[in-house]
This record gives sequence, C-alpha cells and structure tokens, in this order.
Amino acid sequence: MTTTAAEVTTPPGAPEQKSRSKVRGGGLGRYILIRFLLIFPTVFILVTLVFLLMRTIGDPITASLGGRLNAEQLQERIHAAGYDRPVIVQYVEYLGQIFTGNFGTTISDNRPISTVLLTYGGATLELAVYALIVAFIVGIPLGMLAAYLRDRWPDAVLRVLAILFYATPVFFAGLLLKLVFGVWLGVLPIAGRATTSTELQMQLLPNKTGIYLIDALQIGDPAIIGDVLSHAVLPAIALGLLTAGVFLRLVRTNVIGTLSADYVDAARSRGVSEFRLVRKHAYKPALIPIITVIGLQIALLLGGAVLTETTFEWKGLGFMLAQYLSARDFVAVQGIVALLAVIVAITNFIVDIVAALIDPRVRY
Amino acid sequence: MTSASTIRKRTLAVLGGTAIAALTLAGCSGGGGATTGSKPLTIGTTDKVTVLDPAGSYDNGSFAVQNQVFPFLYNTPYGSPDVQPDIAASGDFTSPTAFTVKLKPGLKFANGHDLTSSDVKFTFDRDLKIADANGPSSLLYNLASVDAPDKTTVVFNLKTANDQVFKQILSSPAGPIVDEEVFPADKLATDQEIVKAHAFAGQYDITSYDFNNLIAYKANPNYDGVLGKAKTDIVNVKYYASQSNLKLDVQKGNIDVAFRSLSPTDVANLEKDSKVTVYHGPGGEIRYFVFNFQTQPFGTKTADADPAKALAVRQAAADLVDRDALAKNVYKGTYSPLYSYVPDGLTGATTVLKDLYGNGKGGPDAGKAKKALADAGVTTPVKIDLQYNTDHYGESSSDEYAAIKSQLEAGGLFTVNLQSTEYVQYSKDRKAGVYSVFQLGWFPDYSDADNYLTPFFYNPTDKEAFIINHYDDPAVDALILKQGVTSDKAERAKLIEEIQAKVAAQLPTVPLLQGDQVAVAVKGVSGVKDTLDASFKFRYAALSKG
Repeated sequence: MTTTAAEVTTPPGAPEQKSRSKVRGGGLGRYILIRFLLIFPTVFILVTLVFLLMRTIGDPITASLGGRLNAEQLQERIHAAGYDRPVIVQYVEYLGQIFTGNFGTTISDNRPISTVLLTYGGATLELAVYALIVAFIVGIPLGMLAAYLRDRWPDAVLRVLAILFYATPVFFAGLLLKLVFGVWLGVLPIAGRATTSTELQMQLLPNKTGIYLIDALQIGDPAIIGDVLSHAVLPAIALGLLTAGVFLRLVRTNVIGTLSADYVDAARSRGVSEFRLVRKHAYKPALIPIITVIGLQIALLLGGAVLTETTFEWKGLGFMLAQYLSARDFVAVQGIVALLAVIVAITNFIVDIVAALIDPRVRY
Repeated sequence: MTSASTIRKRTLAVLGGTAIAALTLAGCSGGGGATTGSKPLTIGTTDKVTVLDPAGSYDNGSFAVQNQVFPFLYNTPYGSPDVQPDIAASGDFTSPTAFTVKLKPGLKFANGHDLTSSDVKFTFDRDLKIADANGPSSLLYNLASVDAPDKTTVVFNLKTANDQVFKQILSSPAGPIVDEEVFPADKLATDQEIVKAHAFAGQYDITSYDFNNLIAYKANPNYDGVLGKAKTDIVNVKYYASQSNLKLDVQKGNIDVAFRSLSPTDVANLEKDSKVTVYHGPGGEIRYFVFNFQTQPFGTKTADADPAKALAVRQAAADLVDRDALAKNVYKGTYSPLYSYVPDGLTGATTVLKDLYGNGKGGPDAGKAKKALADAGVTTPVKIDLQYNTDHYGESSSDEYAAIKSQLEAGGLFTVNLQSTEYVQYSKDRKAGVYSVFQLGWFPDYSDADNYLTPFFYNPTDKEAFIINHYDDPAVDALILKQGVTSDKAERAKLIEEIQAKVAAQLPTVPLLQGDQVAVAVKGVSGVKDTLDASFKFRYAALSKG
C-alpha cells in the first residue's frame, strides 16, 4: 500500500487529527472566499471584453440607425447618447451604470435593458432547468447502461448516440423535433411557451413571475399546467440532448472507472451482482464529476438557448439576443451578454463550492 | 423509514408522470379566449412593435396597432384609395393656408375622457415638439401651427397653400390622436402607461399587452367613425419571429388569420391547402432599381459622359426586364408586376412603362433594346455594376437580382457585375454616389400617389430627393407641386399621369414589382378581402369568424 509523505512524516495521534481538521475547515472557508472574490475579476474581464468588442464595430447608434437617419440626425443622436466621447470615459460610465443596475436603454424599441432582462430572464431560466432535467433523465441512466454493457453492441450504439447528441447543432435538432412531433405526428406544439388563452390568463395574474410553470401553478388549472409543459417538451429536449450527450459519456467513463476500483472488486468478490454493483457502488462516485461539469454546461446551455429559443419562439433572453442582433441594437446585446456572463460566473462559483463540499478529492 | 432508493424512485416517478401529464393535458388545453357574443379571433403576425406612442414610432408593426386603437381625423374607408373624415364631421380649406376640421360632437376615449379639439391640438403640437428621430414628425413638414378655437373646431395652419395631401397626412402615422390627459407633452409615454390608461378611441381598446408577444383587443363601443363598429368583440394578436412558425400555426388552426409576413414559398404552399384561404390585395410596397445619373454608364461624371447614350442604356434595361417572371418565379405571385410609378389601386396609377418599353404587353423585347443602344451609338455589351441588398430588402433579393442579371445579359447587350453590400454600408454608399445602378424599395407613408412621386422626383435646388440619383427635371418639379394643390380629383389624376409619362421617358428609376398584401385565413373567417385594400391598413374590425 502506498502512503503520502504527510502520512509518513506525521506521527499518528489525536492532536494531529484535530490540527488537520482545523486546517481543512479554515481551508474551505478560504477556498469559498477566494472563489467568491474571483467572480469580480471574471465578470470585470467579461464585461470589459463585451464593451470593447461592441465598440470595435463603431458606435451603437450608427450600427442601429445608420441606414435610416441622415448625417445630421445621426450625429445628433450620437452626441445625445454620449458616444462621441472618448471610449475610456464611456467605459468608466458603463461600469458605473452596471454597478447601479442600469444597463441603459435599447435603441430599437426604447426599453430599459433592466426591464428586458427581468422580463425575459425567467423564460431562459425555465428552459435551462427543463433542459438540465432532460440531460439528467437521458444522460445518466444511459451512461450507466453503457458502462454496464461495456464493449457490447448496446454500448457502441449509446456511444454513437452520445456523439450525435452533442454534435448535432441544436437548431437542427429543434427543426427535426418540430417536424416529427409538431408537423407529422401533430402531438406537440411547434412554437411559443403557451397557447394564446393560457397567456391571456397569465397576463391577469397579479404576481407574474415570467416563469410559466410557476404562473400556471398559481392559476391552478391542470389544463393550463399541461399546456405550459407541453410547450416546453420539444425545446427542452432539443437543448437538453446537447448536455445529455456529455453526461452520457462522462457517466459511462466514470462508472467504468469505479467498477474497477478495489472496493467494487471487494463487493464483487462477495457475490454482489453486476447490476447492483453499478446501481449501489459505482453510481454515486461517478456522479461527482457531473457536478463539476454542470458549471461548464450552463455556459453551453445559455449559448444553445439562443438557437433553441429562436427555433421554438421561446421568448427568453436568447431569443431577444437574436432579435436585437438582427436589429443591430448593440446596447441591448451588450446588456444581455453582460448578464449572461455574470450568470455563468456565479453558476461556476456555486458549482465549485458544491463540488468542494461533496468531493473529498477537491483540495483547497 | 424511507430509503434513498425509494426517494429516487419517487422522484423519477414524479418527473415521468409530469412529462406524461404534459403530453396528455396538451390535448385538454384549447385556444380561444373567454368572451361573449361574437367569436374571438386570433391573428398571427411577424410584425414588430417598437413603441405604442405615435410620436415615437414610424414603422409597420407599431402603426398596425395604432390603426386599431387610435382615432384619426381622416381615414380610408374599406375598399377605397381615398380618405374621408373619420372622427371628424367635416374638413375644408377656410383660407388657402387654413385647413379647418370640425369634430363630431360627444367623442370620448375608452377611458371616459372627452376627445375634443384640445386633444387634437395637443397631439400635433406634441409631435412637432418631441420630433423623435424614430417618429413621424417629418410628415408634418407643411404644418405651421394648430388652433382649437372651440371644443369641436381645429384649424391647421399650413406653410404652403391648398395642400391637397394634408388630409392623407392626417390618416398617416402622424395622424393618431392621443389623450392629453394621459400623454406627456414633451416626452414619449411608455406602452404600459398608455395601455393602463386605456387612452384609445379607435375601433378597439387594448385589454392586455405583452410586448411583441400577445395583444388582446376589445371592441370600443364609443367609436363612431367612418369604419363603423367592429364585427368581432375580441381579437387577440400573436407575434411571431419566424415566418415558418406563423405558417404552421395557421395551417394547424392555432390562429385564425396570418397577416404579414409569409415567405413566397409558404404562400405558394398554403395556396394548395384546402383548410385555409389565401387572400391577395394591392400592396403599397414597391421594388425598383435606380440609375445614378452621374455615375451610370455614360453618366454626367464619367469620362465618356453622353446624356443620349446614358438614356439609351436606361431604355434598353427597361426593355429587357421581365417583371412577370420576377413576380412568378422569385416571389411566387406574392408580388405583381409594376408598370407605373404610382402603384396599382391608387388614383393616378397607369401602365406607362408597359406601353413605352418591352414588347408592349409587359414582356421583354431584346430587339427593341438592341435598337435603342444602336441608335444612340452605344457599343455593346455595356458593363453595369448592379448593387443590391439582402438584409434590408429581403433574402429573396439575391434571387431577384440574379434573375435581373440574367434578363439584362440575355441578348448579350449588357455585362452585369452583381454586387451585394450590408445595409448600413449600402445606405451610406448609395447616398455618396458610389453605386451607379442600385436596388431600392419603398413602403408608403400614406396611401396617395404623391407619396410615390414627391420623395423620388421632386428635386428643387435646395433639396435633394430621397433617391439621390441626380435626376432633375424642373418641369416635373412644377407638375409635382401643382398636383399637390389641385383640389379637383379628375384634374389632379391627369397631372399625376402626366408626371409619370415624363418620368418614364427619362427613367431615373425602373419600377419592377408591387408587393401584394397577403393574408391567410382558416375556413369560416370572413371580411379579409374587405380590409386588403389600397389603404394598406389591415383593420381587425372587418374580420369575423363563424
């Protein structure tokens, strides 16, 4: 049996154990603090990059209205919006605005960007959650199955399937799903988040959240809940399969790894069945890497949401981002992208903490 | 004690059950809305609203909403190209520069506020004061001031006398009357403020407003204008981003009517579907290409400048274009050939280009084109750089201009270098005179021949026309001014025809196509044809179901 240098040089005993646990406890707090503080430079760099990238194409007013206004009107608008000032001045002002939650006003439809973010953020969050559920439901059991049937034909099929899941462009998967389930079979809605009548009832709610499932639950009508969920099925599958493919391969690899671990061999030698070994012994440790991967997958999901939401007219932030891009409304694009960057940074922070708490191999 | 595996089983069961319930209950949830009386109607569109406030928007999507809910002094009755008093009782020139409108008595907004001459004065003063860059205040170019001497009288003081177009302006995006008790005088009102205050007095009131997603309308019983009461009490309008989703939803019956915009391919496909009816009406959009008189072959600023040869080049191009082929092959019948400068359906429309160019029946004539060039001594093939744009004038522009290139090159008379540029740059370049021959399109501000003539061909010394192609004909300028102040309808129509004949002889632009208004309705919906008229306003109040 191999031992670490620390175990060899440290004499055994209670005081040492206490000291070690004390160090670990302080380490976790320090780890969380550092990870938290790292959010700020991450967001700062992301926001700066977004700002600079947007400015490389010129000022947002010219980009949005350049073809419609004459030179004088254009200059007037540019001056009024302050885009004729030095970039550094605009940048400092932009940072200040972000800190106060003021992302500016869209050029194409004159709406406060904070309102846009609040109005459509719920829809994207809802879709991301549905997609994660699909990814879990599809990716984890199939990954376990592939590991259980390792190197047999079902494993090969599942591995190909996993590649297909994450290699297929999400808009293509969406169009296929629409064609099959919406057009040919006619069993699921092809677009939108709910039928007109449902949306009208939701408009009457005093405490609308923008998360349709919650709003439908507030109304309490099973038909409305069903309507909302049925509209979510295809977008959730289209987006969820993207992540399901990653989960499938990850779970398969990790389950295979844990199945050859000493403690599993010990269980096997005690006569525990292969199926039980997978379900009881190899499953849990194999899931830990999933947690760490979720952080990355959130970014992938948000990127995929732009295409999924556009394909299914799921009016969330991704959909609006595509709309504002086509309108060349770069003030709006800047605001939405900055928010998405913040969401990804915060999600990664949470995932890091959860991973540190549940995985003893994470050292800090 | 509940084991972890049991919890997992239950969790999976709940998730599975939820998915099954979603699929099952999907069948239970129907469309429609809770109404009484006439059946509610759902309309789908790919329009986009920018802002509801008429002072801050000048686009099709916002105007489509404004047309349903705001009152106009003048409006176009169903089926007519000409305006009549709407909430006004009458209107006339009381002096050459004073257009006096009498309002109907007892007018009210849906919120109960009185609609008086004070609101009308407030509306136009406000438009001019705010002068929003995205708003329609530029249409009020001839308005000096507004007076409201009593509760039902409004006097518009105009800068130039006898402006016959002003009534049309009152029916345009500059015309919606707003409630002075709701709208701020010096800034735009938000959509929420307007909807919450029910500051409407058109055929409909808005009861629910979800920006660019869903708008619910309820008939306004107070409306007493030229368009009459709404045939349907409740109309819901669903906003789509994708034309294909709009098409699929009308095909599946999820919506009752689809209006603006469906792709030509989708329309052609729907024409074959027995579950829906496709309606076509005259449209205000026109597509055309422009010759820059300075930089076109033999243009005034070219090395081999020769006005006669330049004209021959334009004439030969007009002889060679096959509008019918463009309409059928590229646009699948969603556009019609355009043979005059004023589109079909409007007073003054002619077929002057059919008569002057091509085979006289609307088709191309290579022999005639060859003769025009030969007579002017032009060596063929003539090289032309033809510019077009896809991100502003539609994706089909590529097919359209590829077809035009083929048509022009067919007889070996032209060699066309086809070029495409992104719109912002395109717009700058064509104004700067970079392009010698280029594509443009036009949506009217108001449905009158003037709107297809003045912005294009009126070139006084102090002002250049919108197309900026350096075409200048003082005789045409004079005629354009004259038609604008001629009150006799027949005389004015004659002047408009005369202008077109003069312009057609010079060909500063070559009109190609007129966009049809296309609406698709499921069986049982009536009234669609009534509103697809030359007003180019799609009125929901004309529609009914069942």
